[in-house]
Amino acid sequence: MKFDCIIIGGGISGLTAGIRCVKEGLHTAIISSGMSALHFSSGSIDVLGYINNKVVYKPFEALDTLTGTIAQHPYAKCGKALIVEALQFFKQECETQNVYLFDNENLNHFHVTALGTLKPTYFSQRSVFNEDVYNRFKSMKKIVIVNFEGYRDFHPQLAAAQLSKHALFANCEIIAKSIDMPQLQDLTRHPHEYRSIDIARIFENEENVYRIADAIRLAAEGADFVVIPAFMGIHNFNQIHNILQSRTRLLIYEIPTLPPSILGLRIDNALKSRFAQLGGVYIAGDKVVRAESSNDVVQAVYTANHPENPLEAKFYILSTGSFFSGGMISEFNNMYEPVFKLKLHYEPERNKWYSPQFFYSNSHPFLEYGVVTDENLRPYDSKNNIIQNVYCSGAILAHYNPIREGCGSGVAISTAYKAANQIISLYKLMR
Amino acid sequence: MRTIETEVIVIGGGATGCGVLRDCTLRGIKAVLIEKNDIASGTTGRNHGLLHSGARYAVKDLESATECINENRILKKIAWHCIEPTGGLFVTLPEDDPTYHNRLLESCKFAGIDAKEISVKKALATEPNLNPNILSAIWVPDGTIDPFRLASANILDSVERGATVLTHTEVERIMLKQNQVAGVQCYDKVAKEYFEVYAPIIVNASGVWGQHICQTAGIELKMFPSKGSMVIIDYRINNVVVNRCRVPSDGDIIVPGDTVSLIGTTSRKISYDKIDELVVDDDEIEVLLADGEKLIPNVSKARVLRAYCGVRPLVAVSGEMDGREISRGVVLIDHKERDNVQGLITIAGGKLMTYRLMAEMTTDLVAKKLGNTSRCLTHKIPLPGSEKRVGYTKKIKYFSGIPNSVVGSTHYRHGERVHNILSLQKRNYGLICECEMVTLGEVEYAIKNLKVKDLVDLRRRTRIGMGPCQGELCAYRAAGLFTEFGEFTPDTSTKLLKDFLEERFKGMKPVLWGDGLREFEFTYWIYQGLFGLGLVEEEEK
Repeated sequence: MKFDCIIIGGGISGLTAGIRCVKEGLHTAIISSGMSALHFSSGSIDVLGYINNKVVYKPFEALDTLTGTIAQHPYAKCGKALIVEALQFFKQECETQNVYLFDNENLNHFHVTALGTLKPTYFSQRSVFNEDVYNRFKSMKKIVIVNFEGYRDFHPQLAAAQLSKHALFANCEIIAKSIDMPQLQDLTRHPHEYRSIDIARIFENEENVYRIADAIRLAAEGADFVVIPAFMGIHNFNQIHNILQSRTRLLIYEIPTLPPSILGLRIDNALKSRFAQLGGVYIAGDKVVRAESSNDVVQAVYTANHPENPLEAKFYILSTGSFFSGGMISEFNNMYEPVFKLKLHYEPERNKWYSPQFFYSNSHPFLEYGVVTDENLRPYDSKNNIIQNVYCSGAILAHYNPIREGCGSGVAISTAYKAANQIISLYKLMR
Repeated sequence: MRTIETEVIVIGGGATGCGVLRDCTLRGIKAVLIEKNDIASGTTGRNHGLLHSGARYAVKDLESATECINENRILKKIAWHCIEPTGGLFVTLPEDDPTYHNRLLESCKFAGIDAKEISVKKALATEPNLNPNILSAIWVPDGTIDPFRLASANILDSVERGATVLTHTEVERIMLKQNQVAGVQCYDKVAKEYFEVYAPIIVNASGVWGQHICQTAGIELKMFPSKGSMVIIDYRINNVVVNRCRVPSDGDIIVPGDTVSLIGTTSRKISYDKIDELVVDDDEIEVLLADGEKLIPNVSKARVLRAYCGVRPLVAVSGEMDGREISRGVVLIDHKERDNVQGLITIAGGKLMTYRLMAEMTTDLVAKKLGNTSRCLTHKIPLPGSEKRVGYTKKIKYFSGIPNSVVGSTHYRHGERVHNILSLQKRNYGLICECEMVTLGEVEYAIKNLKVKDLVDLRRRTRIGMGPCQGELCAYRAAGLFTEFGEFTPDTSTKLLKDFLEERFKGMKPVLWGDGLREFEFTYWIYQGLFGLGLVEEEEK
């Protein structure tokens, strides 16, 4: 099969690049091996949350500081104007699928975590943060954090205790409540099947939503805000949110849960359906196992399911993620990139890959390991030659720490956008 | 200041200390056990969990071998719920001295160990993952034992019979009145308060830390700490214990344990001032994996879950000797005889396997000093959980409605006490740890009944967080239950969660490559990235 562009990796970065390419008329395929990191994410889009362990409020101002100290940072290769453009593109594409992202007019806002900490982020789904929340924030007196009886993955009392310590909530009473709904529990066969995704499906039934709304209203007497784990449906979330708020006359917002992440799932679904809607080819459950190149140009890739049939393209984007996603592989005392055997940035000594403690202020070095690229995000092979028609995006890139800097999805989106831009302009030149 | 009065103070909550406490209690002697961390948190919890048949010692140390096989038989009766009688093999590799095989068989016969030669074909049928190039094999009645469960069952029984157990309590010093012990001064690390316990007899069962304890009474007792490191493979690659048939050396045993397998062990002399900050060295991992691979090929291709080490409490009774040379026999010291300090007894050396015998010897001496004439009963009375032996299938019928796997795991860990833990209420058997099938009910039971003061203690009682994911999801799930079922504030629960992750990380660090690194990246994403747990402390400052 022949394509203009083949994207290896179907996470947030691969999908963003795919949508961009296919929108510009490129015959584009995405090869995805399975669930992406979106399923384990907060579902908010972080652009730049921290510098030197301090919270960043104005991410675009702070960008200069960051790229000033780390010259090879992927953001430095993108540039501020492109990052802004990429984020707007991403937002608009999500909106076509009814996932509306709130941006706090170029400022970071905070989302509440399951442990009650506040994480700076740039875009949140409207059920996580919105103008109403923002406006009512100063006058609120009481917040109720609710869990559903039998759900093991959330402890509202821990979240409440942590949240009340924060200066923002100094004048606010925060309490934890549990809603017991036997009718919901009956729907489960075994208690260990009562996961976020099972509960989200329960919310998809309108009749259940009214019952849930009544239970929430009872639990939240006198409160301004009600916080629940992110359960408000996988597909009809806007509608469910509206029904819950209008029936309870309360502001209701969601906290990202332990995986699977319903908030991440919504974005994943939106991007996938947008890509399909535009005519992209999404090859799921398959894995690229080898590539064929000549003269620093990749000719074709072969997958595990179709080892005999090459997939050919003029351009390739590698967005296979980090170790966790299989983009890089570590062994007893070395690391490699399995698809193109690209040059990696890493420390050869194994005992330098990690920090002395789990929670260490400088995070862990291995998170910064990855593929080395030129200014245009083209990678080097093991002989230090640039591969001419391959671009890299997202977590496989070296020289940034998504957790310490709070920039995982921002880098994924910006580098995907940049990689796609390069390919699109070359593609247009070729025609 | 708070004070407690009793007849006997036992210092150290390892297997031996717990055994002494139980033995005293069964003889009607009032006793208090003081442990600076948690039950089985020192050397007891840091071995490979082998239920020795004694064969390992038969060639060089007949006495130890005989002790082992006797205790092996006793423990199978009184503590069956802590034991898996897997059986074991001694296999000779092409590079090993082939004459050791016959020496081992002969020595086992002398020691009364039921060892028999089996054909290579039969050995491979018993253990299909075994190196097919072995030259010969001997079957021995080795097994596996869960040291946490064993120590905990001793404690549970003692407490139910009236003993007092103080964990996370440090003995600051032994108080003397002229040349007679008066008691100990302690510090409760959780409540952050000092108090004193008075008794005419003190048993120092604190293993390698016993040198320090003796020092507080002005007595010199020289310990020779020997470090042993082990690696854990993330699933059970063998059914039976696999020993290498040669003179004991590094990396010559692979022990199956619950859901995982362990490769043991190294032996390195370390200086006494390093016993609390032990680390596994990179080259030890290389040795263990390389030698493990010789017994079971492909071991090094499996995912390595953790590496950890413990300190053997070897005592120099006379003259200085090195790691594997120094006697591993039991050392019972009456300090009245040795140092003219009346009432102080040190019990050290020995092995996990002989903990009960060591406790019996110690308690005999305690009883003699107190004029108590009761006989030892610990070899006859089963531990809690092992009271009745009812088949697993019968249990599953009794708890119909609860998934068999859940009943099986709970029964496996707690024996007869499964009745105190599982109930047919749906919430009770909801799984908190899916790797090890730990239910909400089991967590509740442990927090309320088994002296659990943090998540690490909970792990020792239930195996929570010990499976392939190392606490990825269950650590958070369990943390909240401390607030729900115990007297823990939400802040404490959050702190326990953080401490637990740090504790787990210590054993992951030396083996962070391959899928171990992948799993760790995921865990780190969740707790630091998604939960912002690392931010908690900074905010509080």
